Amino acid sequence: MTTFLQQLINGISIGSVYALMAVGYSLVYSIMNFSNFAHGGVIMIGAYLGFFALAIWQLPFPIAFFIAAVGSGILAIVLERIAYNPLRKRNAPFLYFIISAMGASIFLENIVIATIGPNFKTYPQVFQKTPYEIGALAIGRLDVVMFIISAVSLLILLIIIEKTKVGMAIKATAYNFKASSLMGVNTDYIIFIVFGLGGALAGIAGILFGMKYTVYPQIGVITIKAFIAAVFGGLGSLSGAVIGAISLGIIETMTAGYISSQLRDLIAFALLIFILVVRPMGIMGKMNEDKA
Amino acid sequence: MSLLELKDVTKQFGGLTAVGNVNLKVEENMIYGLIGPNGAGKTTIFNLITGIYKTTNGEIYFNDSRIDDLKSFQIADVGVTRTFQNIRLFKNLTTYENILTACHFNTEYSMLDAVFRSKKYVKGEKLLHEQAVELLEIMGLENRKDVVAENLPYGLQRRLEIARALALRPKLLLLDEPAAGMNPEETLQLLDLIRKARDQFKLTILVIEHHMDLIMNLCDKITVLNFGKELAEGVPDDIQNNPHVIEAYLGEGDAEC
Amino acid sequence: MSWYYIEGILILSGINLVAVLGLSLLTGFTGLFSFGHAGFMAIGAYAAAFATMKLGMNFYVALLFGGLMAGIIGYVLGKLTLNLKGDYFIIATLGFGEAMRLILDNIQYFGGARGWPGIANYTNLTNVVIINVIGIIILVNIINSKHGRNMKAIREEEMASNIIGIDVFKYKLKSLMISAVYAGISGGLLAHYIGFLQPKMFQLIKSTELTIIVIFGGLGSVTGSVVGAIVLTALPEVLRNVKEWRLVLYGATVVFIMITRPQGLMGGKEFRVIHIIKRIVSKLKAPLNKEVS
Repeated sequence: MTTFLQQLINGISIGSVYALMAVGYSLVYSIMNFSNFAHGGVIMIGAYLGFFALAIWQLPFPIAFFIAAVGSGILAIVLERIAYNPLRKRNAPFLYFIISAMGASIFLENIVIATIGPNFKTYPQVFQKTPYEIGALAIGRLDVVMFIISAVSLLILLIIIEKTKVGMAIKATAYNFKASSLMGVNTDYIIFIVFGLGGALAGIAGILFGMKYTVYPQIGVITIKAFIAAVFGGLGSLSGAVIGAISLGIIETMTAGYISSQLRDLIAFALLIFILVVRPMGIMGKMNEDKA
Repeated sequence: MSLLELKDVTKQFGGLTAVGNVNLKVEENMIYGLIGPNGAGKTTIFNLITGIYKTTNGEIYFNDSRIDDLKSFQIADVGVTRTFQNIRLFKNLTTYENILTACHFNTEYSMLDAVFRSKKYVKGEKLLHEQAVELLEIMGLENRKDVVAENLPYGLQRRLEIARALALRPKLLLLDEPAAGMNPEETLQLLDLIRKARDQFKLTILVIEHHMDLIMNLCDKITVLNFGKELAEGVPDDIQNNPHVIEAYLGEGDAEC
Repeated sequence: MSWYYIEGILILSGINLVAVLGLSLLTGFTGLFSFGHAGFMAIGAYAAAFATMKLGMNFYVALLFGGLMAGIIGYVLGKLTLNLKGDYFIIATLGFGEAMRLILDNIQYFGGARGWPGIANYTNLTNVVIINVIGIIILVNIINSKHGRNMKAIREEEMASNIIGIDVFKYKLKSLMISAVYAGISGGLLAHYIGFLQPKMFQLIKSTELTIIVIFGGLGSVTGSVVGAIVLTALPEVLRNVKEWRLVLYGATVVFIMITRPQGLMGGKEFRVIHIIKRIVSKLKAPLNKEVS
């Protein structure tokens, strides 16, 4: 029972960081209707920004956190301007967006390899290793921090979307891009905001992953987890992405804990295919009949 | 015995009833009109007949066999095809390729025949090309043969879509607002063309249209829909004089046209 | 530059080209995107190596065996996922490719993640070229038949394809299977060229690379794919002196192509030369056909 609870807590903690990635990715999807496969690149840059701030510039954690979030947000916006905006202006088919995203992601990964190097970098220790002990449970401080930061970030996003004017506009645009732009919503501005928010969440995820594991140029591959989580919850659905991410985190830690840690990723992919086959619209997604 | 029969067909989207208990009987060789204000459920009926939507309730018969549980391509196989309100051509293919593609099931050869260029393939391809050329001529598109469909003028795009549908040698052709966006002259030409096609291919035609002149001229029989329900059914003269129709449709039709 | 070096690049280009040809049918002509074709290459590579090294099969039979295995898996994957739309299908293929790699990581019989050394080197420039020529002929023959036209129709307008009686699902499945067979054969060639297999060789980046080549050449152009495969395989090799920067350049080039010339090199058209050759070939073939009949 203790192991179970232990794994459950670990799962929720890691799942909450997945949620940051998945929500950012899903947010962009809900507006643009395409998978931003460069999301992983932004997460990776976030992780490196965090590393530089903490290890090289020796800044305190809150400032490092700020740098990672804001820097990644800006990067995502720049990326949109360069790689997607020209395509959007031309009404290019969605496949071009995807290839452009892939190109951007190759670019980001390799520019880091070329300038910083392909090696793993280890973050300095920010939070003490000694875990909180509750009865027989030992909960890592970092896991708690990860969960709290993720939860607060998502809460802020929720407030932005639900309570502000921009948020309303985002919701409207996600619901119907064309109609919203006809109704006077500045969709360029909305896309700007959405990439900024998604990028910031990616940066936060990056610094958290960096602290939990290490940083390396290929860390962006972890976004595949975000895709799985988002598909699990239904592409474009933010609440779905959170539920999907937490579920994925729990399933992964349970697999690692009870079966084998080598099978962890395999189970995640098997789950992905299974969900796509059984319920392709995800848990929260809707299936639309094509309009003739 | 009717060629096409809809029995109590209903389609609901969520709680909304787009089409409610519609009955329709289209006899062979008829040109049948389906009219009604916007949102009356006309296109939905086309989508139901061609299997793009599944019916919520009711049955659809074609040649006395049920087709509402068939998939779209199977419905095409039994001889029902259509055009679309918002033209759906193979945009990046030429006029000729559009028609040639649609001729595909007038011949049978396997992929292996194609790979090895067998006799069956050569024969089949020859037949398809002949048919495509023939259709181009009938539809008056031969001088636009190599124009990419996207670059055709609007009126010709609609005409190409009809040509593509005819390539299937259908028994029943559904035309969804074939005259939309056409000027009066083009509309007249279209009228001729539809009649010609019916005679030449022994077609039965079900047509949705807002151009009242065209409908009243062309159709043998008309059903009027309003809010997904049948409002009236009869020959053009009766429809024109039906007070319900005038109230629901023709009255507001002025504003629309 | 020594001939040995150039030959190496040509062989690698040729191996890539086999996979690209198949993917060209799927992406360029049927309009489906896959980020999992490295998975099919992996299946073909391991199956072919298994056939030659463990069963002592003839190399060419082994290649076909590898292609066949990939085709079968392609069939299963297609059956399961081809009903999915757009991004969902892409993510499904992505998941498939990664899952394939992870499975191979765990099969100790094939060396697991450490890899499988000592595979015989049967692949050479001659057989790569011959296989490519056969591959191109088969592909072109399919494209220029009603089956190929049906696939193009699906790429253009799925609903209209349905309405003219094309069984969209069946044709997507055929297209996926054929492209998987090509990828499998390509994998088999790769295994017997490098002489060493490791699941890491078939990562997502490999799938991406194949798709990028197809796009670079121009969707719906076989000649474009040929040129694309040679240029884009050679490019990183030629840029080898600038080491790490070559992939930076590569990524930037891809983005640049997308935002400036997304129709690719050939923009859906074929080389004139090819048309001329085709005409000559068909003239040569015509009397042959008559003789047969």
